[in-house]
Amino acid sequence: MPPLTPPTLTRLVLAVATAGSFIVPPLVSAEEQEQEPAWAQGRAAELGESPLSPHATPLTITPEEDIPVDHLRLPDGFSAEVWAHGMPGARMMALGDEGTLFVGTRGIGRVYAVTDQGDARETHIIAEGLGQPNGVAFKDGSLYVAAINRILRYDDIESHLAQGEDIPEPEELTEAFGLPDDEHHGWKFLAFGPDGRLYVPVGAPCNGCEVDPDTHATIHSFEADGSDMRIEARGVRNTVGFDFHPETGELWFTDNNQDWIGEHGPGDELNRLGEPGEHFGFPECHSVGIVDPELGSANACDDKTLPAAVTDPHSAPLGMRFYTGEMFPEEYRDAIFIARRGSWNRTLSVGYDVLVAKLSEDGLRADLSPFMVGLLDPRENSFSGRPVDVLQMTDGALLVSDEQNGAIYRISYESPSYME
Amino acid sequence: MLRQACAPPWRRALVLPLACVGLLAAEAQSQEGPAAGLPLEEQVQLCGGCHGEDGNAVEEGVPSLAGQPALALTNQLIYFRERLRRNEIMTPQAQGLSDEEIQALASHYAEQPLSPPDGKPDEALMERGRELAREHRCASCHRSDFSGQQQMPRLAHQREDYLAQAMRDYRERTRGGPDTTMVDILRNVDDEEIDALAHFLAHFDRG
Repeated sequence: MPPLTPPTLTRLVLAVATAGSFIVPPLVSAEEQEQEPAWAQGRAAELGESPLSPHATPLTITPEEDIPVDHLRLPDGFSAEVWAHGMPGARMMALGDEGTLFVGTRGIGRVYAVTDQGDARETHIIAEGLGQPNGVAFKDGSLYVAAINRILRYDDIESHLAQGEDIPEPEELTEAFGLPDDEHHGWKFLAFGPDGRLYVPVGAPCNGCEVDPDTHATIHSFEADGSDMRIEARGVRNTVGFDFHPETGELWFTDNNQDWIGEHGPGDELNRLGEPGEHFGFPECHSVGIVDPELGSANACDDKTLPAAVTDPHSAPLGMRFYTGEMFPEEYRDAIFIARRGSWNRTLSVGYDVLVAKLSEDGLRADLSPFMVGLLDPRENSFSGRPVDVLQMTDGALLVSDEQNGAIYRISYESPSYME
Repeated sequence: MLRQACAPPWRRALVLPLACVGLLAAEAQSQEGPAAGLPLEEQVQLCGGCHGEDGNAVEEGVPSLAGQPALALTNQLIYFRERLRRNEIMTPQAQGLSDEEIQALASHYAEQPLSPPDGKPDEALMERGRELAREHRCASCHRSDFSGQQQMPRLAHQREDYLAQAMRDYRERTRGGPDTTMVDILRNVDDEEIDALAHFLAHFDRG
């Protein structure tokens, strides 16, 4: 992605303002704004009739024959198959020690488990009725689930599954973690770091607004029991995916930038946390150093950490993992796979794919390029699937979850026949 | 079929807020609803007991299903089935319905014609409702003829008493379900405004 050049992003509405007027057109009045749905916050009055709004996620099963695996295009040697399906809303993935795959969701309120029977997979609903249980993480035999309002721990879950037993009530860790329960950007990613601590983001409770830098737009870490909270990163608007560098242990994370500022900016981010507590800019500095037209002062970006890479505005890079397997060619070692769920807040759709990020020699920056495409049809401006997370299996294959179709694809590699 | 591929009910961990446990017991949560597994025609007869034979409801406070977008009906039935939306009548009714059954019911009702209400509209109320609908931009999701689209329900010619109650329930946060959009929109709308909106939408006529 070429960097966005203007140092201060001009709101889209400026471009359509009456010529000769130097007055920024009024946004929706405060009173009206209160009655806007969350996704429309920050939409300029002129855009009140805009047809753009988030795409609804199906809550029903996509029949296997309708899963668009034939649409997927990958570099030579790679192939994709449907590995598991029939799980509406499948999003974030975590792997258990015994090979069980756990899958979180949002609207449908379920957590799924997939057990591998060799050539077929069995799917189970292990929790339901939760408020957007997006985050799943696994450690020492226990599954951790983050819903909007709760953190839960399911002990010995794989042995209960293996023995066909009732899944016991989870340990309620909600109070121990003491996280806010805002709905807006309140769905949480979860991952354990190499330090054994549980990393939990708290998104900004808005599209763009001032936030308490110690409670919102943050990534926190905790001991697994919810004690010893630390703030790892600040100024992070809404990250829904991160991983730790296999060599340095550094935290790398995706971040979704603000809606309604413009169709072509600010770009969504891939970030690297160098020092604990670094500030990544929200709400006054976006993307590659773009000062917020309302909340940012001229030097708002001076003390902020800028992204290691940027990608298309509104493309929604979510789940991301470093690749450490042996199955894929050498050039993918320690690269990052990033699932992009795809845009709604721009007229021409982008994303709906998986990118690969290759790190620079000094490990500070990354280049992004397409890895798995085909779910977006640019001629029709329509999409057939939405990748949300990626996960490396023990054999080095890569799983990709497709929230739109409730399916999980497995991507494997064999040297193409023209290679010796 | 997920329901069959998945573990049987006794293997499914039910995780619910403590406050809901009493309610759940009352719902006899492990039991299937009366319509589950029946042929579509028989299911439609059951639903018709309250929602009207042809999906045009005649009972007070009961929504008409005729002419609703299929996805809007599908999503609400799934919210009931998953106990994400708790209603003492509908949550038990939806238990055990498969995705296919829900989608077939939704398509059936989406294709039924919805009749406009009897009686002449009140002109002053209509004007007030029209203004409010413009102010709150109802049409930006529910379409300019209020026929609904995708997961957004049809409002035009829906029962007036149901529309008013649904808006009050959203405002009071008692409707339940994962949708928060309408809660945000109705936060500061008073009863007089809700009644005008309901009257206008129930009697909407493009004219």
